[in-house]
Amino acid sequence: MEFDFDLENPLAGVDHDTQQLSTALLLGSANPDEPLTLFAVESDHMSFLPGALDQFSARCNAHSLIVQVQFSNNLDPSLAYLAVNYVDRFLAKREIPREKTWIVRLLAISCLSLASKMKNIDLSPADLQSEEGFIFDSQTIWRMELLVLSTLEWRMRSITPFSFLRFFLSYLPLEIRLHIQALKAHASQILFKSQNEIKSIEFKPSVIAAAALLVAARELSPSHFLPFHSALLNCEYLNSETLTECCAAIDGYISTNCIEAASNGCDSGRSALTPVTVLDHCRAGLESGKTVGSASDGCDAKMCRTLMRRPT
Amino acid sequence: MEKYDKLEKVGEGTYGKVYKAQDKVTGQLVALKKTRLEMDEEGIPPTTLREISLLQMLSQSIYVVRLLGVEHVEKNGKRLLYLVFEYLDTDLKKYVDSYKKGPNSRPLPSRLIQSFLYQLCKGVAHCHSHGVLHRDLKPQNLLVDKDKGILKVADLGLGRAFTVPLKSYTHEIVTLWYRAPEVLLGSTHYSVGVDIWSVGCIFAEMVRRQPLFAGDSELQQLLHIFRFLGTPTEAKWPGVSSLRDWHDYPQWKPQSLSQALPNLDSEGVDLLSKMLEYCPSNRISAKEALDHPYFNGLDKSQF
Repeated sequence: MEFDFDLENPLAGVDHDTQQLSTALLLGSANPDEPLTLFAVESDHMSFLPGALDQFSARCNAHSLIVQVQFSNNLDPSLAYLAVNYVDRFLAKREIPREKTWIVRLLAISCLSLASKMKNIDLSPADLQSEEGFIFDSQTIWRMELLVLSTLEWRMRSITPFSFLRFFLSYLPLEIRLHIQALKAHASQILFKSQNEIKSIEFKPSVIAAAALLVAARELSPSHFLPFHSALLNCEYLNSETLTECCAAIDGYISTNCIEAASNGCDSGRSALTPVTVLDHCRAGLESGKTVGSASDGCDAKMCRTLMRRPT
Repeated sequence: MEKYDKLEKVGEGTYGKVYKAQDKVTGQLVALKKTRLEMDEEGIPPTTLREISLLQMLSQSIYVVRLLGVEHVEKNGKRLLYLVFEYLDTDLKKYVDSYKKGPNSRPLPSRLIQSFLYQLCKGVAHCHSHGVLHRDLKPQNLLVDKDKGILKVADLGLGRAFTVPLKSYTHEIVTLWYRAPEVLLGSTHYSVGVDIWSVGCIFAEMVRRQPLFAGDSELQQLLHIFRFLGTPTEAKWPGVSSLRDWHDYPQWKPQSLSQALPNLDSEGVDLLSKMLEYCPSNRISAKEALDHPYFNGLDKSQF
């Protein structure tokens, strides 16, 4: 048995020895209790970052390092997504002192290592830090892995927005059903892109999933938005106001992205996930952080840029 | 591990010794299980990571013994992981035995059997809904809180790290009594039905206060089953004669379940017969079992 982790099926142990069972689970509604369970436990998997800007810059440094490793190893975006989820949940529980930037690197590497093990993707410590001058030995990474595991209470089968896509797609009005694959693919792209947005950790994973699907529906065809929106509001787990706020947050993020993409002269899909844009968003986040009363002095944004290592 | 005082050895689990221990600070009683896996150069082995995180998720159900934490220890240069579980005072085997022996020998109250079976089906349905088979359900693996009347599934045999071995840690032969016929006949593509078969055997054992099929070898185990339920035929179980270990067995006629279990009401007999259905795909599922009329008299709101 392997039990590889699948972002879209966090609750299902994908057991290769019992294909019959797994296939039944993966195809549709074999388990009507699953959404209930997901909604009941999603809050355990959320990460609220403490207000401290130290943590904020730690987050952005860890994110950019993960994206960098993702690019240089051509990794599946879902692996990086899972690693970032671990980083966020770790930082929500433990503070990393501002001066200890090496811990942030160690954290990012360990979370990538754990994510690769969860997804059964072979990634050696060397793959994880090939471009760095200073290499952590496996003993150190191992200790950090254990610290991450105990901090996250071994809840490594993260419940993320991806876990809810299938559920909310079942609310799709019949006339749009034809586009279900395109819609899901587009929403997934939106989720991958918006993970670095600080606002994205303020919402429940289920709300982010619904909002990403709505934004995706609107982008595919504006006429899809309203029927899907009213169908989703029938879902007892969604609140109209929060959903609107979350859609607006995603919209805001996407439009910033587009402007940057235009100024960088490349398409938004490609530019969205480079380490450079990750950092730009951190900077934007830091600046907007000021408006909600955090004590930013601009130094962190500068530090972010300084610490940023561009991929070669 | 300094967090806990080891109190006593409470058993030999599938993966090694199990200790009753106490949290030094909170006084909470726990069960400590050492995993056989050692950490290697690459940190925590991927399989162990995936299995423990799955166990962590499954143990969110109140019908599954709760995993409270994972502790790592370095001893003589070896790195070991201990799983820390909630502690329950007894298991179903010891509990049933307490009704069998001594001056107080008497049948288990039928309400209690109903309640235990319901909780067992809940736990198994929970595991199955997460794509996990238990594969080694037996009374020793079902922990019981006597005072509260609670039963929980323990010892989930998840996979490589916790593989059910042919011989247990103490070289005691692993019991075949609860093993489904398709497994005994060498089927490799078995599924949820294997657990339901075990549940059926456990159900009958609570009623009888002794095992239903107590074979001491795989062949003897099959013959016990065939003698009681009749030798399976292609008509009853399509494909049975193509299973790897199928032979021409003596032809037995099925016995009457209700005569063999006079203490069990007709609904109970009906549920048991559906759990002991030969053809795995016709066997009742744990979830369906929860809705069986046998449980109609049970106050389900307490669960």
